Amino acid sequence: MLYTTAMDKAIIVDRLVKSFEVSQKEPGLTGAIKSLFSSKKKTVRALREISFTIQPGELVGFIGPNGAGKTTTLKTLSGLLYPTSGFIEVLEHNPWERKPEFLKQIALVMGQKNQLWWDLPAIETFELNRAIYEIPTKNYNDNLKELVDLLEIGKLINTPVRKLSLGQRMRMELTAALLHKPKVLFLDEPTIGLDIIGQQKMRDFIYDYNRKYNATILLTSHNMDDLSNLARRVIVIDAGQLLFDGAFEELIAKFAKEKIIKATLGREDNIKGLESIGKIRKLSFPEVIISVPREATAVAAAELLQNFPVEDLTIEEVPIEDIIRKVFRGELKK
Amino acid sequence: MGNSRNEMKKYLRLFNISFQQEFAYRLNFILWRARNVMQILIFFFLWDAIFSGGATQIFGYDKAKIFTYAFALIIVRAIVMSSRSADVAGQIANGELSNLLLKPINYFSYWLTRDLSSKFLNILFSIFETVVLVLILKPNVFIQTNPVYLISFTLALIIAMFIYFTTIMMTSFVPFWVPEIVWGAQFLVIVIVVEFLSGAFLPLDIFPPTVYQILRFTPFPYLIFIPIKIYLGNFDYSMVIQSLIIGTAWCWVLWRIVNYIWKKGLLVYEGVGR
Repeated sequence: MLYTTAMDKAIIVDRLVKSFEVSQKEPGLTGAIKSLFSSKKKTVRALREISFTIQPGELVGFIGPNGAGKTTTLKTLSGLLYPTSGFIEVLEHNPWERKPEFLKQIALVMGQKNQLWWDLPAIETFELNRAIYEIPTKNYNDNLKELVDLLEIGKLINTPVRKLSLGQRMRMELTAALLHKPKVLFLDEPTIGLDIIGQQKMRDFIYDYNRKYNATILLTSHNMDDLSNLARRVIVIDAGQLLFDGAFEELIAKFAKEKIIKATLGREDNIKGLESIGKIRKLSFPEVIISVPREATAVAAAELLQNFPVEDLTIEEVPIEDIIRKVFRGELKK
Repeated sequence: MGNSRNEMKKYLRLFNISFQQEFAYRLNFILWRARNVMQILIFFFLWDAIFSGGATQIFGYDKAKIFTYAFALIIVRAIVMSSRSADVAGQIANGELSNLLLKPINYFSYWLTRDLSSKFLNILFSIFETVVLVLILKPNVFIQTNPVYLISFTLALIIAMFIYFTTIMMTSFVPFWVPEIVWGAQFLVIVIVVEFLSGAFLPLDIFPPTVYQILRFTPFPYLIFIPIKIYLGNFDYSMVIQSLIIGTAWCWVLWRIVNYIWKKGLLVYEGVGR
């Protein structure tokens, strides 16, 4: 290319480390009193040299078991946490400086977070954000109308927030967070606690927002559908380390150490002998599902055909859900 | 200047929403006002009893001046000590601070604005309470008419508000390091130290002169006692100027300390629970 665009990376994370000092406390009152005088500090290393970059307009799923460091990463990228070491840049800003120009271009939406004024109608929070983000009247009216229509909250914006259901509140939160049209969006568990329809609406919305505004979105989720419907690219972290970064489909190639053999048996004999082929995952005659090590697949299939009354046989990849589930359980290893 | 107009709009909107929020907690507010009135009544009846012994002057106060002190207390307390920034500690401990940090708004201006909105409401009520109490108790109240004292009194109130704000902020930052101590630090500092040493319970010049002289160089009397003394006209002009200078100096020192602690605190902020 003869020229490059003004910015070719929306997010740069280079060897990011974040450690917390956690004071250890013995249980009970004596423990509490003791800790006042001598507190044993323990360093928790939440992020250990994480590196990745994200292009403008990418929608990336950020996954890992609880406590892997996903939220810590999002908070650091939004400028809430001070990095212990390493380099980060979001939209060519150092997030930690929290400059107004930077803050006006990002949003962090967290499942359990509440920026809405609890006792007042959501419209009051929206109006406050309009003033704080200095959104011109025309843009504000357009953005609000669009969000209200998309999220179907028109009738609710004048109801005190505490009277709304969780799903309604989540949509209000999202509206409040997006009124200023952020270019980079950090979503932490955006569908948590929502019913199936609510989840679908939220996903549709995120998908559209990404497409329409070419917004860069980094989202964490424990919801399989969020990932499979939204994220073309996933970043897997566990215990503060990056395990995988690539296309969703590639996860399998990298982590599926096994293949699945499905066979239909003609007769019900020598069932016990099946155990010598591989790990029996399911056996309900005439169907049997066996998982075998990837490299031994051909041998296992041949053996099965030779020694058992097989009528039909297929070899499949491990379902992606199984891999993701392993990710959530922290069972994937480098 | 479009820019500064936008800045103004930000804070006006915040003032507005904060004001609405105060109304959402009506019971809370009424109890807080009741507490203030109770304190004045105790003060009033205590001194009424003392003067009923026949004395005309005690510690340099005659009956009119001590009662004026009592009623000035209502209004000065409402102006100086009503604030929303008491929520700061809780916000830091439970991670709600994150919401504010994400917004392009100055943190201290945010809380100053919310404080002002709270003060505005409290001042309205305190004026009403004062009028009612004056009508019921019919004390002799001293009205200051000297413009020098009135202007100095106003300046002293601004200094007092700022000293109170920084003091509250400072104690509110403790949860950055010790998240369990949300109310402990504030209780200790506000109720015991600030309330007592500020003159909210009794005029400070009834202490032995050495104690009083030492107190004058701490920030606390500048919250309540010194503004009221200036209003009452008990200080000569040089003393008034001296007081305003010491008060301003404390504002500067406390502001520097608060900023220092804030920056240190943000470095260890964990944004837990959110």
